[in-house]
Amino acid sequence: MRVQARSLAYLFIAGAALGLLTLVFPHADDVEDVALIVLAGAAAVIAVAMWVWADRVRQWQLHAALASGTIILSLANYYVDTTVIYPLMYTWTALFAFYFFRVEVALAHIALIAVSYALVLILVDPPSAVVRWLLAVGTPLIAGLLISRLLGRLRLGVHDAERRTRALQESEARTRLVLDGAPDAFVSLDRDGVIKAWNSAAERLFGWSASEAIGVPFRSLVTPEEFRERHDQRRIALIDVPQVVAMQRFETEFVRRDGTRFPAEATVSKIEIKGEPFISGFLRDVSERERRQQERETLLREQAARAEAERVAELVSGMQLLVDAALQNPTLDKILEDLMTRVRGVLQADAATILLADEDERLSVAASSVPGASEDGAQEEPEPIALGEGFAGRVAQAREAMLAADPKPEDLPDPALARLDVDSLIGVPLLAENKVTGVLVAASIAPRRFSSEDLAVLRLAADRVALAIQHARLYEREHRIAVTLQRSMLLDEDDIPQAPGLVVAARYEPAATEADVGGDWYDVIPTPTGGLGLVMGDVAGKGLAAASMVSRLRSALRAYALEGHEPARVIEQLNRLVWTEGRDSQMATLIYMVVEPGESRIDWVNAGHPAPLLVNGNGSPHYLEGATSVPLGVLPFPSYETVTSTMEPGSSLVLFTDGLIERPGELIDEGMAKLAARVQEAPDDPEALCDHLLRTLVPSGGATDDVAILMLRNLPVTDRFRAEFETEPEALSQMRSLLRRWLGHAGADRRTISEVTTAAGEAATNAIEHSGVAGEFEVSGRIAAGRIELVIRDRGHWRQPREGDQGRGLSLMRALMDTVELTPSPEGTTVRLRRRLDSDGGT
Amino acid sequence: MKDGLVGLEIEERGDIVLAHVTGELDIAGAPHAGERIAEAVPTSARGLVVNMSELDFIDSSGVAMLFGLVRRLSSRRQELRVVAPKGRPVARVLEIVEFQRAAPVCLDVDAAVAEID
Repeated sequence: MRVQARSLAYLFIAGAALGLLTLVFPHADDVEDVALIVLAGAAAVIAVAMWVWADRVRQWQLHAALASGTIILSLANYYVDTTVIYPLMYTWTALFAFYFFRVEVALAHIALIAVSYALVLILVDPPSAVVRWLLAVGTPLIAGLLISRLLGRLRLGVHDAERRTRALQESEARTRLVLDGAPDAFVSLDRDGVIKAWNSAAERLFGWSASEAIGVPFRSLVTPEEFRERHDQRRIALIDVPQVVAMQRFETEFVRRDGTRFPAEATVSKIEIKGEPFISGFLRDVSERERRQQERETLLREQAARAEAERVAELVSGMQLLVDAALQNPTLDKILEDLMTRVRGVLQADAATILLADEDERLSVAASSVPGASEDGAQEEPEPIALGEGFAGRVAQAREAMLAADPKPEDLPDPALARLDVDSLIGVPLLAENKVTGVLVAASIAPRRFSSEDLAVLRLAADRVALAIQHARLYEREHRIAVTLQRSMLLDEDDIPQAPGLVVAARYEPAATEADVGGDWYDVIPTPTGGLGLVMGDVAGKGLAAASMVSRLRSALRAYALEGHEPARVIEQLNRLVWTEGRDSQMATLIYMVVEPGESRIDWVNAGHPAPLLVNGNGSPHYLEGATSVPLGVLPFPSYETVTSTMEPGSSLVLFTDGLIERPGELIDEGMAKLAARVQEAPDDPEALCDHLLRTLVPSGGATDDVAILMLRNLPVTDRFRAEFETEPEALSQMRSLLRRWLGHAGADRRTISEVTTAAGEAATNAIEHSGVAGEFEVSGRIAAGRIELVIRDRGHWRQPREGDQGRGLSLMRALMDTVELTPSPEGTTVRLRRRLDSDGGT
Repeated sequence: MKDGLVGLEIEERGDIVLAHVTGELDIAGAPHAGERIAEAVPTSARGLVVNMSELDFIDSSGVAMLFGLVRRLSSRRQELRVVAPKGRPVARVLEIVEFQRAAPVCLDVDAAVAEID
C-alpha cells in the first residue's frame, strides 16, 4: 500500500506543478488563475497526505484519492478550457490504475475519466469536442491496456482472480470442515470481541449453536462474570500487539448454556485479515485433565503422607528398639551390649560404641560393637576422652547430636574403630538430669551420610536410654551395696561359733541371676551361758531395703540374745522393731532357737518361717510343725511363746529359707518331701550334709531364689570322749556343758553330774591358771566297769597349792571324787579323777 | 544383770543388802561379782545376804569370793549370811569347804534377813 500511496503522491505533485506552470507561462486570458491555484493546492494537499500516511493508507482511500485526482483534472480542464495538454494527464491516472489495480478497477477509473471529461466538454462546448473526448479517453485507455498487457495481467489476471476466489472459497470450506471436525472448540472474534466463528465442537462445548453465538459478544455469552474484565484486557492487549500474528495460551473458566462452569485451556492468536485483526482461539475443556491432575496430586499427597507415616513409624520403632534394650535388660552391661547391637541394626551402621562419663566428665568406652574387635581379645585400655576432644568429646561438649564425614583417626572415639576405614560417624549425647552421662556413636564404613532420620532416631532414643543407663548405674551401685551389706552380715562358713557336743554348719547360695539381693539371712550367736543362738530369717522384699532391715534385725537380735532374754521375748522385741520401723509394711519371718550344750533340747520360736526339719538319731526326719506364730511386722503386739523341743544326741536340725524347697511349678509339699528325702540319704556330717542338699536341691543352672541353710547337729555321745579347750576362764563352762552331757549319757544322776563337774572344773581351773597366756588343755573321759575316769592334762607347771583360797580346789576335788591323782611333769600336769557311778562321792 | 555366766541383782531391805546370785559362778565371773557385791554394801548397812538358792554352779573361786566378802564385812562389823537350800550343788560345796565356820548358811532369804535383824 505504501508504494501505491507514494506513487500517487508523486502524480499529484506533478499535476499541481503542471497546473502552476500554466500560470507562469503566457496563456490565454480566459484562463481563471485563482481556480487553477486552488486546484493545484488541493492536489498538493492530497499528495502530502498520501506521502505522510503512506503506511496507513487503505485500499479504498487510494481509490478515492485517484478518483479525486480525476475530478480535479476535469475541473482544471474546465477552467483552462482549450488546452490540449491537460487531457493527456488522464493518461497518468490510467497508468497508475492499470499498474496497481485489477483491470476491472482500472477500467472503472477510465469510466470516471470518460464521464467527467464528457461533462467538461459539454459545458465548455469547444470545437471538435468529440475528437478531444476520444483523444482524452482513448489515450489513457490504450496506454493503460498496453501497460496491463506488458505486465501480463490483462488476460491472466481475469483467470487468476477467478481461480483465486475459487481456491479461497474451497480453502475456506475446507478450513470450516477442519474446524468443524476439530475436537476442540474453535471460536473467532473481531476486535470488539464479537463472535465471528463458532465450530461444532464449540456448539457441543458451550451448548450454544453457531447461529445463536455468532454476532454476540463472546464475553457476555460464555465468560463468567468475574473473568469478563480479564477477558477484555487480554483481548485488547492481544490486538494491540504490533506483530501481525501473535499467540498465547492461558487457562480460565467458562460458563455453559446450562450455567455450569468448567475449567478450560485457551490457545488464542491474533491474525490480521486484510488489515482487520481477528482473534481466534481453540478452547479445550480441561475439567477431566484437572480432575486427573487433582487425583494425581491427591495420590501424591497420600503417598507422601504414607511415606511420612512410615518414616515416623520406622523412627519410633527404631527408637523403641533402642529404648527397649535399655529397659528390658537387668544389668548395665547387658543394656549396653544389647544397645550396641540394636544401634547397628536400626541405623544399619557397621559399628557402634557407647562411652560413659565419669565424675570428671571424661568419657570412656563402656561397650562397643565393632566387627572383628573381639578377635584380638585383650586390648589396651584407651585413655579417657576429655570434653571437646575428638568426635565424642565434641558431641559431649556441644550436647548436640552430630554427624562427621571422613573422620581423622584421632577423632575416632574408640581405638577399635581405627582398624576400620570409617566413612562417617553419627553421635548423640546421653543427657540425664541435665548432665552428659555419655555419648553414643555409630560408624559407617560404606560411603554414606547418616540422614536426619538417623539423627532423629538417636536423639529420641538418647534421652530415654540415658535415663535407663542412669537408673541401671544407680541400681548397680545400690545392688553392690546391698550385696556387700548382706554378705557382711552372713557369718563366714568357717567362722561359725561352735559349742561342745554341737556342730553348726551354714550355707548361703545367692540366686544365679544377678537379680536383687534377697532378704535371706542366718546367724549363730554364742549365748552367755555357753550355748548357741541360731537364727534363720527371711525379710520380705529385695535389694537395699531388705538388706538394711536384715542388718537392723541382726544387730537387735544379737543385743537381746546377749542379754540372755528367752527366745520369745527376743522375738517380741524384734517384732516391735519391724512393726514400728519397717518401711512399706515390711515383714519378716524368723526362727530363733537357743541350744545349750549338754542339754538335749532346743528352746525356740518360729515367727512365720518354714518349719525346721529334725532328723532323729534313728534317721527319720520330720518337720517341727505346729509351733509357728505370725511373722514379724504383721501385728503390733502378737504373743510369742518359747517352744521346747527335744533334740537327742545324734540328731540333726535343718533350718532353711524357702528357696530350698520352692521351685517354680512345684507344690511346696513336694519341695518339703524332697528335702526330707535328701536329708535322710545324706551323711551325718553337717558340712557334708549342707553340700549334699545344695547339690541335689538347687537346680544345676543355679538357684532361682537365694537359698540359706543352717544345720545343727547334736553330736552323739559315746563312752569315751576327748576334747581340747583354750586355757581361758570362758572354756570352763563349755567343758562343764560337755561333761554334763557325757555324764548324762553315762547314766549319772543329777547329784553325781553336779559334783563330778565341779571337781573337773577345779582341775581345769588349775590348768588355766598354770598355763601361760595362750595354751590348751585336754579333757578326756571314759566309762568302764561302772566307774568314770576323767583326765585333765595341761602343759603348764603344777604349782603347789597355797593355803587358803587356792588350796580349796584340791580339797574340793578330793572331797567330790573317789580318787584324785596329780602327776606333775616338765611337759605339764595331769590330773586323773575317778568315781564310781553309784557312789556318794569321796569323803 | 548378767556378767558372763553370772547373774547378779542387788536388793535393799531396810539397812540389809540382798545380793541374788544366779547362773554359774566360776573363775570367769566370781572375782568381778565379788567386787560388785562389796561395792553395793554401804558402811551404813547392817549386813549382807548373798542369796545362792538359784545359783546352778559354784566352784572354789566362788567360794573364795564368799570368803573375801566375809573378810571385808567383818572388818566393818557387818553381818553376812549365805542362802543355800539343802540339796543344791552350792550347799554341797559350801559344806565341803566348811563355809559355815566363816559365816552362817541359811536355808532361805527370810530366815537370813531375820537372823541379821
